Amino acid sequence: MTTVKVIVAVAIVAAVLSTAFAVSGQSFVGLLAIAQDSELKKNTIGGHTAGYGLYDTSGDVLDPANSYSTASKEVVIDPDKYLRAFDYGRVSTLADGTTLREFTLVADDRQVMEISPGVFYNVWTFNGTIPGPTLRATEGDLIKINFINNGSKPHSIHTHGIHKSEMDGVFETINPQGKFTYEFYAEAFGVYPYHCHVTPLEEHISHGLYGVYIVDPKSPRPQADEMVMIMNGFDTDFDTENNFYAVNTIPYYYMHHPIEIEQGKLIRVYLVNMLEFDQINNFHLHGNLYQLYRSGTNVAPDEYTDMVTMSQGERAILEFNYKYPGQYMFHAHKTEFAEKGWVGMFLVKDPAETRSDGGSGSSSSSNSFPQTTTISGDVGR
Amino acid sequence: MEEDRNLRSSSSSSSSLQPRSFAHAKLIAIALVPFVVLAAMIAFIFGPGQQFLGIGTPLPEITIERVEFQEDGIIVAFIRNTGPIDVTVGQADVNDRIQQAAIEPGRELPRFAEAKVIIPFPWNEGEPYEIGVTSSDGTRFSKSIDAAAPAASPDVEQAAVFALIGTYVGIIPVLAGLLWLPFIKRLSLGKYRFFLSLTAGLLVFLGIDAIVEANGIAAVSVAGVFNGQILIVLVTILSFLALMYASSKLGERSKGGTSGETHELPSYDSTHSGHAKTLDQQHHQQQLVVKPVAIALMISIGIGLHNFGEGLAIGASVVLGEIALSSFLIVGFMIHNTTEGFAIVSPLAKARVRRMLSKMIIMGLIAGVPTIFGTWIGGFVYSPIAAIIFLSIGAGAIFQVVFLIYRGMAQEEVDRGKIMSNASVIAGFAVGMLIMYVTGLIIPS
Repeated sequence: MTTVKVIVAVAIVAAVLSTAFAVSGQSFVGLLAIAQDSELKKNTIGGHTAGYGLYDTSGDVLDPANSYSTASKEVVIDPDKYLRAFDYGRVSTLADGTTLREFTLVADDRQVMEISPGVFYNVWTFNGTIPGPTLRATEGDLIKINFINNGSKPHSIHTHGIHKSEMDGVFETINPQGKFTYEFYAEAFGVYPYHCHVTPLEEHISHGLYGVYIVDPKSPRPQADEMVMIMNGFDTDFDTENNFYAVNTIPYYYMHHPIEIEQGKLIRVYLVNMLEFDQINNFHLHGNLYQLYRSGTNVAPDEYTDMVTMSQGERAILEFNYKYPGQYMFHAHKTEFAEKGWVGMFLVKDPAETRSDGGSGSSSSSNSFPQTTTISGDVGR
Repeated sequence: MEEDRNLRSSSSSSSSLQPRSFAHAKLIAIALVPFVVLAAMIAFIFGPGQQFLGIGTPLPEITIERVEFQEDGIIVAFIRNTGPIDVTVGQADVNDRIQQAAIEPGRELPRFAEAKVIIPFPWNEGEPYEIGVTSSDGTRFSKSIDAAAPAASPDVEQAAVFALIGTYVGIIPVLAGLLWLPFIKRLSLGKYRFFLSLTAGLLVFLGIDAIVEANGIAAVSVAGVFNGQILIVLVTILSFLALMYASSKLGERSKGGTSGETHELPSYDSTHSGHAKTLDQQHHQQQLVVKPVAIALMISIGIGLHNFGEGLAIGASVVLGEIALSSFLIVGFMIHNTTEGFAIVSPLAKARVRRMLSKMIIMGLIAGVPTIFGTWIGGFVYSPIAAIIFLSIGAGAIFQVVFLIYRGMAQEEVDRGKIMSNASVIAGFAVGMLIMYVTGLIIPS
């Protein structure tokens, strides 16, 4: 009988020990976590929309949509600077009166930089940024692009527009450490992409070798607040599907850094779709409609709309002004792209109020998500 | 002992001039030589050898081990760095759409470290979700959940629900199966052998079932670095060997400590005739009483471990939203598990055991109650590795019991080789496995 008791005791002890073992794996890690938590920093996430839970955390926050906590030195582009930056080149006048614009573009493919908060990628760049600089000229100007390949692979510059075969950037690929000067006249007026045309083409474009090239008509377009938006994305895990979408590279950037514009003022957006892998992309504007100039090759608008859908390489000029002040979204109406970063915000300011602020107002450093008001009750009736 | 002493003195006599401790140190030093060579090699590889041995790029790997859906619009993913290098988590997503999230203790994960990713998200019950995290190099790792179900919160109410489920699928069926005892008692020896072998068939099925289930968990939820499948084989063998040792010690004890050849006797009272009531005979009697109890107890422990694993699976499935715990499923488990009660009582049937009822109840509880613990642990703190270990221990225990049953029967046979060619034994084994297979069909998977 004592044997049985011993066996029962052993069985109970074994059961207790095994239970303890099962729990220990969890609790051991738990103890470590508690030990690390002692610094007691606190952040709150969620709750900005009804249905989303609210959570206080002592850990790190992963929030590319509402904050911008990454080290700017490692970021491949400053979207604020890029937005309104136009490179007119080094200007001189030739004997026949033609304006010569000289640009220098340096390609590199060896850097790993941040393309979305917390995510680093082997970026292939023109002049160190994605997108490359926006080249701008007037119809009829002579353009010279001094191209230097500072990368480890052959590259080239293929510019859309009218030019000679040998200036097309397709047949002359420039080897590493090589140089080439592209020379052509700026025609016709419009908005174009430029990009590397070395195969495998998909790889060279998806890694970031592209930019915008604008040719202004000889009689300039009306004065406006002008900006460049290039719709792009990144396939960071190489499955030929984009992990991130954006305008001007950084997902959600213009959500936490809304683009400030003036109420009633003419806004002109040079919009180019350089998105790889997906067939279509589009641009939807909230609270407004825009005049759409497809390819920007006409001075008369093609359409008055709030939606334009583009395939890769397509582009347009969008002109609009805001009737009312406030915050207005713009985003891909392909919702998937919007929820992976292709979404932004215009902050429309009443010029009278801006002046009364004395100009110092709460300008571009607004980091917070716009307040969402949740309406409850039967307001709809 | 004497011989041992001689041996020692002879070995130390050659170095009798040196102090004993010096000889020891020398021995240890010799043993350490290969380690020194190894250390030098490692130093070389990490040092100057790095430039020509640094082949390939180590890739990060994150495993999402578990996803919890909480009532107040929060999804929690438990992730672990299972790759060869440290990783930093960049972003989190739900259905491949980027979401705001928190990560605790922090976004930097050393090798094997675990972290908790908290994603506020208004999830809908019953819908499938894919939860993903993206490491700083842009690689996305994800886990799919077939149907979101609210996480079991470890409160009294939920624990009581699990206890009830455990009682239904574990305790009641096993205890019900024990009621076959009077039936088995009335059987002739040949028929009894059939049912004993049937028990072995039931058990073998359970053992295989446990291994298959563990393999499923290893394949789906355990990262490659943990070598889940090897762990199953390893733990099963170790469990088998450990219980072999324990049972032989048990056999020795029951013989009053004599360490001669263990003469294990069959688990039913023999009809040996012509024995006088000698001391030896009394001794023999005592052993006959203990041995069947021991086998039954080991069966119940083995089944208990198996049921613990079953409980883990049920609890985890409820939490992970993999099954809807329908009443049909519970009925399926009940029918299936009733056979386990039969397995416990069959070795007891022909033995004279005092206080049989209380022993039976204890064994039934040993076999059944772990189901409840299993549902609690599976539901509240599920760990796939622990599940694999328990299932494998159970499998080893079960196979060991099967071994004991057949050894017992074989020793009863005059011609020892004959047992496996006995028709009723083979038929019993086959029927036992088939019963398990058929009752198992009732359980929807």
